[in-house]
Amino acid sequence: MLSYEPGDSLAHRLDPRSKLAVQIGFAAAAFAHTTPRGLAALTVVTLAVLYLARTDPRRVVWAFRFVVPFLIAAPLLDGFAWGVWFVPAEAVGPALAGYRVLLVLGVAAAYVRTTPVRDSRAAIQWAVPGRVGQFLGMGVAFVFRFLPVLRADVGRIRDAHRARLGTERSVPDRMGMLVTAAFNRAFERADRFAVALRARCFSWNPTLPELRFSRLDAAALAVAATFVVLSLVTVVPPRTVLSMSVGFVPVGTR
Amino acid sequence: MSNSTSTDVDLVGDETAQNVARAALFAALMGAFSYVSFPYPLSPAPVTLQVLGVFLAGLFLGPLWGGASMVLYLLAGALGAPVFAGGGAGIGVLLGPTGGYLFSYAVAAVVVGAIAHGNGGLRPLAETSTARLLVGMAAATIVIYGIGVPFLWWNLDMTLRTAVITGAAVFVPAEAVKMAAAVGIVRSDAIRAG
Repeated sequence: MLSYEPGDSLAHRLDPRSKLAVQIGFAAAAFAHTTPRGLAALTVVTLAVLYLARTDPRRVVWAFRFVVPFLIAAPLLDGFAWGVWFVPAEAVGPALAGYRVLLVLGVAAAYVRTTPVRDSRAAIQWAVPGRVGQFLGMGVAFVFRFLPVLRADVGRIRDAHRARLGTERSVPDRMGMLVTAAFNRAFERADRFAVALRARCFSWNPTLPELRFSRLDAAALAVAATFVVLSLVTVVPPRTVLSMSVGFVPVGTR
Repeated sequence: MSNSTSTDVDLVGDETAQNVARAALFAALMGAFSYVSFPYPLSPAPVTLQVLGVFLAGLFLGPLWGGASMVLYLLAGALGAPVFAGGGAGIGVLLGPTGGYLFSYAVAAVVVGAIAHGNGGLRPLAETSTARLLVGMAAATIVIYGIGVPFLWWNLDMTLRTAVITGAAVFVPAEAVKMAAAVGIVRSDAIRAG
């Protein structure tokens, strides 16, 4: 499981907004240049980003193993043809698209590993002003807070069902029982939580960490802007893509 | 928003506080459901509880807060809460092959809630006819696959045939089971949400 880990890597020191900009730019560039050459260059970028975030690429692949069946099934099914069995040319497109997904996941993983919730919340409220942004900010913080609690609840409910031979029942029955129990607990917790929040002057405008762009962020934003420009250029000479990725590494390690 | 201490405290109203707490806990529960899967004989992919969660979000929280809850789920996942299938997180998952299904959850919860409750606030589910519940959930299922399959098709650059096989045909039998489970849950009156 991939989640925030404190550290002092370069990626940890960046502002959350510039990290989000890099992710979005990277995804745009990857979708615009799903060619062997483009993806090769972006692989270098992905590895550089993971290095800057001190994240082992193997951990990322393991964390996202659930998408692998989709990535393998698409080229296999598309390449399959009656009579000749397999047409490799038909499988190339889906295979490249699948690899692209892995790269985008890798860059996103670097953000997840290096950004604390409070920073993300401040970034949301910066991006979405007013009540909506405040609701999204506080709501996201609550989701982070309660996810482990509710996962433990669901785990305990399943254990209790197993201990009482609940596994002998039909699938709809088991689903119904699990969901009912989990819902009741979640609603009880929500109502107690709401009372606790009101008792503590639950307000729309708590003090959040101040977001500040540094010189490092200027470099990251330049990288993000480069990605966006590259994604808008439909036919990019391969050299441009390569120089972009090579240019990124010294910026980060400086 | 100002960070200075002179800003007045803007308190959240009582009813809104309860709805915010419920929407957030429901979003977290969706995340907890993503770790639970049941083997199902007719489907090669394991059946998760998430779509059932979407149905129930619309039914119990209503269109507004049910939809808001799903938006929180997606946003928390995008910002790093491990709430997607198998503990995944990050913008990458939303842009990955299953992203369309995830985006569709927000719309689907609104659709279920709007059809079950109609206009004018939440109605007690006991007074809602089973047919109405089923129509709501069927419409939501259409929304989920209507957004999810084209997204998968575009995302993995596959043929439409492959997208429909891998993205819908293998999952549809399980949806009927979830609808049955949802009706059972609503009718049993076992959920004590007021």
